[in-house]
Amino acid sequence: MDLVTVTGLSKRYGGIVALSDAEFTARAGEVHALLGENGAGKSTFIQILSGAVSHDDGTILIDGKNFRPANPDDARARGIAAVFQELSLIPDLTVEENIWFRHEPMTAIRTVDRAAMRRQTLELLARYAFPPLRPDQELRRLTLAERQIVEIAKGLAKAPRILILDEATSALPAREAGWLLKLTRQLAGEGKLVIFISHRMAEVRAIADRLTIFRNGRTVAAHEANAVSDGEIVAQMIGRNLDRLYPERVPSATDRVALKVDNIASGSRLQGVSFAMREGEVLGVGGLQGHGQRELFQALFGTAKASGRIELWGKPTVIGNPRAALIGRDGIALVPEDRRGQGLLLTKSVRENLTLAVIKRFSDRGFLNSRKEAALVKEMVDFLRIKAETPDQLAGTLSGGNQQKVIFGKMLLTEARVLLLYDPTRGVDVGTKGEIFQLMRDLAAKGYAILFHSSDMPELVHVADRVLVMRNGRIAATLDGERITEENILGAAMLEVEAA
Amino acid sequence: MNTFLARNRLILLAYAGMVVLLLVTAMFSPGFLSASNLRSTVVLAAFVGIVALGQTLVIIVGGIDLSIPWVLNSAAIVMALLCGSQDTPLVWVVPLVLAGGAAIGFVNGAGVAWFGVPPIIMTLATNVILQGLILVLTGGSPAPSVPDLIKFLSVGRIGPLPVIAFIWLALALIATLLLSKAAFGRHLYALGTSATVAEFSGVPTARTTIVTYVISGLTAALAGMLLTGYSGQAYLGMGDAYLFTSIAAVAIGGASILGGSGHYLGTVAGALVLTILTGLLPALNLSNGALLIVYGAVILITVSIGSEIFAGIGSRLRGKGGSLDG
Repeated sequence: MDLVTVTGLSKRYGGIVALSDAEFTARAGEVHALLGENGAGKSTFIQILSGAVSHDDGTILIDGKNFRPANPDDARARGIAAVFQELSLIPDLTVEENIWFRHEPMTAIRTVDRAAMRRQTLELLARYAFPPLRPDQELRRLTLAERQIVEIAKGLAKAPRILILDEATSALPAREAGWLLKLTRQLAGEGKLVIFISHRMAEVRAIADRLTIFRNGRTVAAHEANAVSDGEIVAQMIGRNLDRLYPERVPSATDRVALKVDNIASGSRLQGVSFAMREGEVLGVGGLQGHGQRELFQALFGTAKASGRIELWGKPTVIGNPRAALIGRDGIALVPEDRRGQGLLLTKSVRENLTLAVIKRFSDRGFLNSRKEAALVKEMVDFLRIKAETPDQLAGTLSGGNQQKVIFGKMLLTEARVLLLYDPTRGVDVGTKGEIFQLMRDLAAKGYAILFHSSDMPELVHVADRVLVMRNGRIAATLDGERITEENILGAAMLEVEAA
Repeated sequence: MNTFLARNRLILLAYAGMVVLLLVTAMFSPGFLSASNLRSTVVLAAFVGIVALGQTLVIIVGGIDLSIPWVLNSAAIVMALLCGSQDTPLVWVVPLVLAGGAAIGFVNGAGVAWFGVPPIIMTLATNVILQGLILVLTGGSPAPSVPDLIKFLSVGRIGPLPVIAFIWLALALIATLLLSKAAFGRHLYALGTSATVAEFSGVPTARTTIVTYVISGLTAALAGMLLTGYSGQAYLGMGDAYLFTSIAAVAIGGASILGGSGHYLGTVAGALVLTILTGLLPALNLSNGALLIVYGAVILITVSIGSEIFAGIGSRLRGKGGSLDG
């Protein structure tokens, strides 16, 4: 019998239909992938299932019994746990305090039983072969990836029958992502249902038994995973054939050096890196996460203290802060890692976000010229095809892909021709991903130089002209042409001694 | 302008509240709407409004200025001691006092921006240090006389209107230009919304923060000098009431105390609301103590209704964002 049966599920927010007549069935003991572009209704669906929001119409049956959770505790009582993209952890508590938050083991006199908590934590971590975590470490000291792992532990601590993973691998480096994929199979083997959301086809392929595809708030198809091709899945997700996710790679690099980096080092993670990036080049930065890629980008944009020399278009440049980087045509612009925390003012308009870095471009003698500003905004909205009702729509209400486009627009308006893109497609739907890759190639053809880090290896393989592989804060290998393959990137990233 | 109003419903609400309060007050004390009473209400509101100008900017940028009482006291005392009842020394005393206010603002801003001291601690500390300095300098005695020009500026009239209303209007115009029409305003809102995003967008975060506190020092010093004209003397403690009222005026005016939103036009309404309220309460025949309790409670309720509405908008936004995030 099906463990979960959903029929006619609908949800609207004001005039916006988030979910309309959605169908879903899943069995115990399977990994069930949920696919769809951003805005397809996946998030709303799992928010309803986990009790975070309530639905307007439709029925949910769990074990054949009606289920209508009023809050997350109701869902928990029926054995549903969800691990969301937006982390729910408290920075000042330790790992174990977070895992058991609000469900701490208690002593007879209703104080927290810390010994039992430690024991249960270690049991949990061991049972599912978690990557190393110290139970007594404060959360604020952990990296984003480690926090994501704690979030997963918190979900499992509820001993759920149904575990929902919402893009849980997108914040994880390759090795940990691999662990999580294995974990989903282990859970399915224990007879649990894992509902798995990911934008990465390879992961879905590796673990899913069945998959359900959403588009525009409706269920468009459900398949046995081995009975459908990648092309069919993508076509059903976007409602048309996406000819190719990756644009044709037409080399456009000239001999002119745009960015020359000489022995740049920062903290313990970045140990001395030198390279030259040419005009018209897309230069990939790969390697396992935590090997200095983040620090390299921070050092180049002036958000971390660093030693070493930087030359921009042949001129030695000191970049002590982003202001020194964002100096117009000869500067450096960054699309940062954390879209919501570093990139966007969520409670401000698309217009204010787009023009924040270029206020001088529409000022007349110190006064803002709103006509000039509107022209700049229109230029970017049209160029990047940003889908916003009006430029005054709040940035936080846009879909993830459109939010990312606003950040691109903000940086393109600075006219800087050296672009740093740190994982620009993370959490972005497949349609927008394709647009971003096309944009990167178009900009390169216009003479931009693009330093591009991605946590998704196929992106480096298909988009970059050359790839720097980082290991232990240094460049372990530089790959170009035919040598850019996933095997070579992983090999250079993981092997301590490189084959000669 | 349409979008400005749509975005700033809380400001409209503040003005609507002000009108309602005015009518209620007129019911309880019929003389309230007389020309002379309205005039004195505007004068009193102007002092609050001028002090709250700096506070508005500081709160938008995500900080708070607790040094206002003693910047105000110091400005009043120093001006009165140096001038006595003479007008001529004002030529150099006014710039000197304003420079002093700006200097204290600079210290506050530098502490917050360069050394990462939390605004509450930083401004509280300068407030106390200033208090000590003035006590050492003056021995605590009041300055009994003030220049006539100052009196004219604070309680004089041009036609039917008080002079200070024109000063306030000019300042409101400058503040509105700064917030709505200058790069500084954009920087201010961005910085108050997210310091990290502002930094990543090339906003001059330290400079913006420091300038904001400098403006707050300036407006507090200006208000201190003008206030001596109203009371006819300068004494220690005359600025005490303006800490709470300056923050309350900003909050009633619709700004989020967490920064990133608000406008001086709202604060103007807030200053008027608070002043009308102080006029209404005595009409209810309450004792002084009861008066203060009611006053505080009304402000608390007004502000929390405002922030309730604000929180509502925020959660709707998050809900909507969640649905579209997909």
